[in-house]
Amino acid sequence: MWRQADSPKITVAEFFEAGRASLSLDWELNAEKAVGREIKEVALNRPGLTLANFRRHFAYRRVQVLGLAEMTYLASLEPEERIKRVRLLAPAPVIVMSRGRHLPTAFRKAVLEMGVPVMRTRLVTGIFINSATVLLQNMTSPRIRAAGTMVEVNGVGVLLEGEPGIGKSEIALALIKRGHSLVADDTTILTRDSTGCIQGAAVPITREHMEIRGLGIIHVPCLFGIASVRGAMRLDLIIGMRKSTDGREDDIDRTGLDTATRNVLGVPIPLVTVPVAPGRDLTNVVEVAALNQRLRQLGHNSARALDEKLKVALSRKD
Amino acid sequence: MSDSTPTPASTPLTRDVTVLNRYGIHARPAALLVKTASRFKAEIFIEKNGVKVNAKSIMGLLTIEGNHGARLRLHASGADAAEALDTLAQLFEQRFFED
Repeated sequence: MWRQADSPKITVAEFFEAGRASLSLDWELNAEKAVGREIKEVALNRPGLTLANFRRHFAYRRVQVLGLAEMTYLASLEPEERIKRVRLLAPAPVIVMSRGRHLPTAFRKAVLEMGVPVMRTRLVTGIFINSATVLLQNMTSPRIRAAGTMVEVNGVGVLLEGEPGIGKSEIALALIKRGHSLVADDTTILTRDSTGCIQGAAVPITREHMEIRGLGIIHVPCLFGIASVRGAMRLDLIIGMRKSTDGREDDIDRTGLDTATRNVLGVPIPLVTVPVAPGRDLTNVVEVAALNQRLRQLGHNSARALDEKLKVALSRKD
Repeated sequence: MSDSTPTPASTPLTRDVTVLNRYGIHARPAALLVKTASRFKAEIFIEKNGVKVNAKSIMGLLTIEGNHGARLRLHASGADAAEALDTLAQLFEQRFFED
């Protein structure tokens, strides 16, 4: 359903780094070839048929996984034939040995010549394939950079947008002081995960930091504890902040009856625009907007409920 | 989030610059860039490899990872755009007064 046209490219080295812990990966051979080596098709393949010398339709762009069956089969072949078959895997981006197996010494020379990076996983083949598929999909999910500060407010992921200096970080700071948490300050990476939800996260290099005018850069968990930051959060609501001196009030919702949305990577995200005026406590407004959004997600629209009551009351007056 | 940003009336001016100072755009040069950019009314963006950040935001600038030797493109639109680009490009040439 989702085309991956706007997906980032992914290299063998990036895949290794991302899966090193969760897939318990280790390098076996040709690790230095992994940098810049692209995994052209984000999927895994067990090359049983290819090793059995059926060469058509070899999914050579994918990650090749050698499990118990493949290794047992190779071991059953004559030594020379065995090496010929392994050489068929030369166009692959990477070979993964499951169950923590090492490459048999008989193959090492051939694989060194082929220049294909080989890694080991301690997982068994089936579990590795499942986990690696999810990891690869998340790594290549479509993403965009949003100029906005993202916070988690009572379990609701909120992206605060507005021009630099309008007070996004100050509001985030006030929310943190009230027990909510920071996802990303100023720049948020939004990705669409495999379930079609939008996830927000910080750019790794500035994660957990924010800039407060007059104070400079602060490290949030050092000041407010580890609960004051989150790694990633689902995006539920966008709050656009606008200087009210602009004089345009026509697009400010006064009833809450109509729900505006913004299309983010093909997913409609509820959008609230709030005017910013001196002395207006926007922290409260953001907190209430988040709670109201949660209420709506549970199926209750306060504005609509009141409107229904009004209509009933007004029809009685006739 | 392109659908939220209003399209400026004037076409944006661009200027290519190279990061010359040894440590690249770390906190101090980023702060200098932001301070300088904020003196202008123009909307100013800095781009590296297709990633565009607002030049008036320090956290944004830190995320583009402008290492030594990186080639960046400055974009500016607004009344004082040309002057802003001149001033910012000068900061790059002067290595942000470092080294």
